[in-house]
Amino acid sequence: MSDEQSIQKDDAEEKEQMERHTKLSIFMHWFNAACWLFLLATGIGLIRNADLQPVGGWWTDMMRGIFGGGANLLLVHEIVGILWTLVFLVYVIAKAKEVVPFLKEVFTIDPKRDVLWLVNKGIQMTLGYKALYKLDGILKGRFGYKPVIPDQGFYNVGQKMFAIPSILGGVVIVVTGAIMTASNVMLENTAPVQWAILIHFLTVGFVFAGLLIHVYMASIAAGERPAFISMFTGKVPQDYAMHHHKLWYDEVREGR
Amino acid sequence: MKTQLAMVVDSSLCIDCKGCMAACKVENKVPEGHWRNWIKNDGVDFSMGETFSRMHFQPGNCMHCDVPTCVHACPTGATYKDEKDGVVKVDERLCIGCGSCIPACPYGARYRHPVKKIVDKCDFCDHRRARGELPACVITCPTKARAFGDINDPDSDVSRMLKDNKTVRVVNRESDTRPNIYYMGATAPLNWPVRAQAPTPIRWWGDWAKQLVWAVVGINALGVLAMLGKQLFVNDPEPGHESDSTDGGKPVETEETDHE
Repeated sequence: MSDEQSIQKDDAEEKEQMERHTKLSIFMHWFNAACWLFLLATGIGLIRNADLQPVGGWWTDMMRGIFGGGANLLLVHEIVGILWTLVFLVYVIAKAKEVVPFLKEVFTIDPKRDVLWLVNKGIQMTLGYKALYKLDGILKGRFGYKPVIPDQGFYNVGQKMFAIPSILGGVVIVVTGAIMTASNVMLENTAPVQWAILIHFLTVGFVFAGLLIHVYMASIAAGERPAFISMFTGKVPQDYAMHHHKLWYDEVREGR
Repeated sequence: MKTQLAMVVDSSLCIDCKGCMAACKVENKVPEGHWRNWIKNDGVDFSMGETFSRMHFQPGNCMHCDVPTCVHACPTGATYKDEKDGVVKVDERLCIGCGSCIPACPYGARYRHPVKKIVDKCDFCDHRRARGELPACVITCPTKARAFGDINDPDSDVSRMLKDNKTVRVVNRESDTRPNIYYMGATAPLNWPVRAQAPTPIRWWGDWAKQLVWAVVGINALGVLAMLGKQLFVNDPEPGHESDSTDGGKPVETEETDHE
């Protein structure tokens, strides 16, 4: 298909929509978001020790005030944590046909293309396009550098850089949370419990740091509105897909 | 002044009958192999010959310290110093049984309950005091070696004993937790409290893990602010659109129909 034909065809289809998310995966996204925020707020409220508390004692006081004491706060944190885990377990097992391709997509990285995308997209979003030319002028093609933002698949590598730590971090958070919950039910040795507390805290902190970028990209960043809307409707306009996820767009168009 | 319940012990009166230990164990249902209180001794002194051998006994239990290193080691605040009576207590429902407080006590006053799997310790018989009774160890002692009361109340027995007598406290040189068990005159042994130390993960958390999380969150927040600032204040039109399927990317200067 020649370029001209393709452009005409694209124009005609510009406002047509492409299926991007199933209803179930949209539900899982918002269920995860709700659980995450609730568990984050209550989890920070469980830290009383001033040396360890990252936000401040006022947060601990407020959370314990809302839930009627530290013991109740711990209980709801554990209940929601278990609910979050069980719903995801059921989802992953029952919908393996949806989850496995998702994981495959998320964990597939094309180093050459994706490193260039990360560098250039990062520069473009903070310093602007002009900075890309400047960098190109300095590097003069060394390290295989080009002032381009390479095409991306269903997810761009920026999204993958958040998705991978979120998934692996989620597993770590669930495992360490389970160890802590099991501590006063069945565990004899306390060393794993003590390590679990620290690892739980660190992992949540790192994933939360990534969440800041995720929320900015989804709700504020220029040109990303269709992606945000798709988290409710499940659909994105074809022109958006072509612009932001060209490799995926091509795959769908070629009927693969 | 705030209430601070404390003990003043005349250890020279102690005959090592273990009445306090038995009474505590029964009263508080302390499981086999564990104790909430103790009687230490300084070993047999044969310096006057076998006939006149002697031994000094030292009753003790949680010292409900003014600087409770155990409270400081607890992440959740399940172990806390009660403002009402100055007693160091454990909120059983908030304790996850991580055991961080156990090595943080210089006196070994804490243990992990083998059935409840949470930390347990002396609370000066909270439930008995609620009924207006003395702690079990105090009421049981046949020689009245243990005196109990509020040292901040000038009219209490313990206050008068403290005022009228020289007293000592048993502390580790590296961890003076300002304990609230006073011994009349002199006591022995003195060298048994250990250095109080929270386990490595809890220390690492306060030493660098919290700061590291803030640093990572801060860097990402700065990145978001940089992107937001650029989006709001810099006019940076996109020279071309970004896609080209032939070489996986297209120079941004290429002219082509913009699809947006």
